[in-house]
Amino acid sequence: MQPIYAPGTSLLHRLHPLTKVVGAALVIVAIYLLPWLLAPLALFGMLLMLAALSGVADRFLRTALRVLLPITISLFVIQGILFPPPGSTPISLGPINLPLEGLEFAFLTSTRLLAFTGTFLLLLQTTHPADLVFALTERGLPRSIGYILLVSLQIVPDMSARTTAILEAQRSRGLETQGGLRRVRAIVPLVGPLVVGALVDVEERAMALESRAYTAPGLKSSLRQLVDSTGQRVARLLMLLTPVSLMAGRIALFFLT
Amino acid sequence: MNTTRRGGLNSTALALIPLCIAINIAIGQLVAVLKLPVYLDSIGTVLVGALIGPWVALITGALSNIIWTLLGINPPAIWFAPVAAVIGLIAGFAGRAGLFQRPSPRWLSALIVGIFLFALALFVMLFLNSSTDADGNLILPTAGDMLQQQPIVFVLALVVGLAAGYFILQNAGYAGLVGLATGVVAAIISAPIAAYVFGGVTGGGTDALVAAFRNSGQGILQSAFAQGTVSDPFDKMTSYMLVYLIVQALPRRLLQRFPNARAVEETVPMGEPLASR
Repeated sequence: MQPIYAPGTSLLHRLHPLTKVVGAALVIVAIYLLPWLLAPLALFGMLLMLAALSGVADRFLRTALRVLLPITISLFVIQGILFPPPGSTPISLGPINLPLEGLEFAFLTSTRLLAFTGTFLLLLQTTHPADLVFALTERGLPRSIGYILLVSLQIVPDMSARTTAILEAQRSRGLETQGGLRRVRAIVPLVGPLVVGALVDVEERAMALESRAYTAPGLKSSLRQLVDSTGQRVARLLMLLTPVSLMAGRIALFFLT
Repeated sequence: MNTTRRGGLNSTALALIPLCIAINIAIGQLVAVLKLPVYLDSIGTVLVGALIGPWVALITGALSNIIWTLLGINPPAIWFAPVAAVIGLIAGFAGRAGLFQRPSPRWLSALIVGIFLFALALFVMLFLNSSTDADGNLILPTAGDMLQQQPIVFVLALVVGLAAGYFILQNAGYAGLVGLATGVVAAIISAPIAAYVFGGVTGGGTDALVAAFRNSGQGILQSAFAQGTVSDPFDKMTSYMLVYLIVQALPRRLLQRFPNARAVEETVPMGEPLASR
């Protein structure tokens, strides 16, 4: 499993992580609040352009499509075509009639998910996880939560590798992982060693934390330095104000129509 | 080892949580590779609940889904973070009550799964046979009618449940019961998220169920809830059962380190084995 972060020196890479987080939050609010049918797709197009400028477009598109293609197909087939909302207007397309409202619903839901996924992917592709967590802990995220996030990101690949090793070891001892009910019974000899191994690690990791005075009170210094600028501070403030006006606009629209 | 609390998580919890998050994700992926009909992506969360307690497990669950997103494997997973958090919370209270250490009689396990499957069959049949009147109101058939019309379905559900409880769940009856309940709660919380954010589908095999419920004239929210109620309890029951088996198999020296396990150990007289190892 390769990490999602792609090192680089583009504009997006150089921005302060908080600026990117606030920007991402703004895009997500916009995805769900803009009243136009095509808005999420347009936002995704914008994200794709930004990804291309940062040199990460290839991975960006592949991951977004891999995650969302099955959901999109299900959405169009089940909610869009087979069971549209009651009272849909049919539009004829050659020999078949397609319900307009059903297709609109499926289109809106899937493009929203696409833009949502794209926002996170772009943020994570251009921000080193440690920088992101450091920026958040500077602004009041509990240090323990930051620690958990970073360590988890690091050990998930290890754990996946260990799982594969256990699977292969048990297969070599004759564990059946193919066919019917036998597969379900195979879970126990796979999960057992993995979890017990992890619990044995806990003591060592806890002692490592204690020996480095992690739980000691007081100020801690960090190796990381983040570059911030007045321009970015102003931009963040403006971006924080935009969702408020978007929400106000949405509410006004709701009462006027 | 000194693990006193200083206004936050102690070092044992800090070391355990990331490992359990990694377990959630690693097993979740393994199960997907083996194409098993379950998710099993909350074993780590349930384990934290069984060993440490509700609030730490709540954090583990929520952070698990955030990590799914941060890893870029499955970015929309963050939407279901509240569901994972509640799963952790329930597991933690079950752990505090010692349900992962206490073996249940096998007949009780059989009874639990049997009654649950019977209730589930009733729920599904009511759902599939419901209809809407001219005003769009939902008309549900009465349970008595259902029982008379298709008794074979209910007898079958009861028998399969009794057998599953007796032969598969065995002594993990208490943990299994909480697992089934957790599944129902998870279905209730995840249904609105699934319906409004994902349009009620997941892109997986469970979408066939959604289609079946939609076919009976139900809305997206109702179909998402019905699908969750059918698939989640068994997934959570399996997770809880696995954690029960793991806790039973753990050496006492290891168990001693975790507060929930310690609390129960004190009530068990020394020299008596916890259960068959």
